[in-house]
Amino acid sequence: MQTVIDDKRWAKKYPEVGTGPVSAEPLISQEYFELEREKIFRRAWLNIGRVEEIPNPGDYIAKDLVACNASVLIMRGKDGVVRGFHNVCSHRGNKLVWDEKGSCNGSLTCGFHAWSYNTKGELTWVSDEENFFDLPKRDLGLSPIHTDVFEGFIFINLDPKPNESLREYLGGVADQLEGGGFSELALMGQYKIDEHANWKVALDAQNELYHIPFQHRRTIPQFCVMKDGKYTRLLDVRLFNHHSVYSSESPDDRVGPATEKLAVQFSVAETEYRLPRIGPFDFYTIFPNMALLLFQGVSHDYYMTYNFWPNAVNQTDWDIKLYCRPAENAGQRVGQEYFKCLLRDLLQEDATAHEQIHIGLASRAKKELYFQDEEVQIRYFHKVLERFYAEA
Amino acid sequence: MTAQKLPSAFDDLEPFVGWALAKEQERTSKRLASSMEDIQEFYDSMSPRLEAVMEYLNQLPLDNMPLDAEWLFHMSLSLMEVANAVEMFHNPAVINGFDVKRFVPVED
Repeated sequence: MQTVIDDKRWAKKYPEVGTGPVSAEPLISQEYFELEREKIFRRAWLNIGRVEEIPNPGDYIAKDLVACNASVLIMRGKDGVVRGFHNVCSHRGNKLVWDEKGSCNGSLTCGFHAWSYNTKGELTWVSDEENFFDLPKRDLGLSPIHTDVFEGFIFINLDPKPNESLREYLGGVADQLEGGGFSELALMGQYKIDEHANWKVALDAQNELYHIPFQHRRTIPQFCVMKDGKYTRLLDVRLFNHHSVYSSESPDDRVGPATEKLAVQFSVAETEYRLPRIGPFDFYTIFPNMALLLFQGVSHDYYMTYNFWPNAVNQTDWDIKLYCRPAENAGQRVGQEYFKCLLRDLLQEDATAHEQIHIGLASRAKKELYFQDEEVQIRYFHKVLERFYAEA
Repeated sequence: MTAQKLPSAFDDLEPFVGWALAKEQERTSKRLASSMEDIQEFYDSMSPRLEAVMEYLNQLPLDNMPLDAEWLFHMSLSLMEVANAVEMFHNPAVINGFDVKRFVPVED
């Protein structure tokens, strides 16, 4: 049976992505989880926070990344440069920094034997040094990790020789977002979710709007519902080298609840602030495990990031961050709070579903996933996964 | 008799000063621990006054409000916290919501 794609906008635009069912196996299999460590998480550029989290020389963030089988340390040097390292002492492999963030006064000291490193990762002090045998101190600095910054987003790459620079890796995403002024917005809300689902089950579930009138029937039923008042339709989908973006708008006659109207009223500001959006709502999937969501605000746009950190086949830490233009008055702050609570509540609706989906798929009752045209970006994500899995 | 916490222009909201909570986790916990009747009563009393509250608070520096105004500001944040309970879920908690112990706000 020939699939007719003439009336399917995205299949017509991206016929190479295909239209058939997609295997669910990578979402539930231990073998794929192990494969992903080597082929994806130790090769791709991964977002770890933003430069505003380490504003001053000596500031650092540290993160254990189970998916990478590594602990990473990102530090701003005395020279202002942001560097990444393996968070591992050169003496006997102890994790150097045990907290998630902090600030050092030019020196980090290992708790085990007090070996010390400066903010460039150089080994500067060894306790009882004369009792060692020709210690090559110059070669015993912290092992560096490729680190780069795009629009304030810090990325690391654990590959000793990444194929692409960060800019090359981001490709068309960077073209769209460059100069976007993300540093003008500040972290306004943050959530950490311990979810019992595979990281790709979670990301796939967020990577479409088809579910909105159903799963979010209580919260945002009309959001992006552009087809016959019943179904969502995307304004645009763009596929890049490894990433995708979909863009959407809501019907003009959408009516929100009473408090939303008040929040909108309080959010009116004298100045406008806009992010480099394609439409009123853009959702980027930045391979492998990051999403960037841009929202048209009343006067000031805002954005969110999702980072999905796999700890096990069926356990993921979903980090959610919301960034807003700093409120100028109480009204704007209260308006921001409304939108934050709305996003939080509907993400709770989503997170429950992630866990239920994982249970369903893990049973292997169903081996394939069926995607409609408006889910082309999920298909594409699976194609990119396959490409990374297959790379030598 | 306990001392008045709110600016006198907002005497009518004094019974709800228990909703003046500075942290999101506190506001969420109060929402989840409250009956729908209590949430509705707070919502019904505070919503019609919100415009007047914002007009009052907008005259003050956001980072340096006097204490009585701060109570009012935190109550306004609580109104945003419970709005969905009243307008969407008709229930204190998100219906089919996630386990709140595993959906944790990170606050300074």
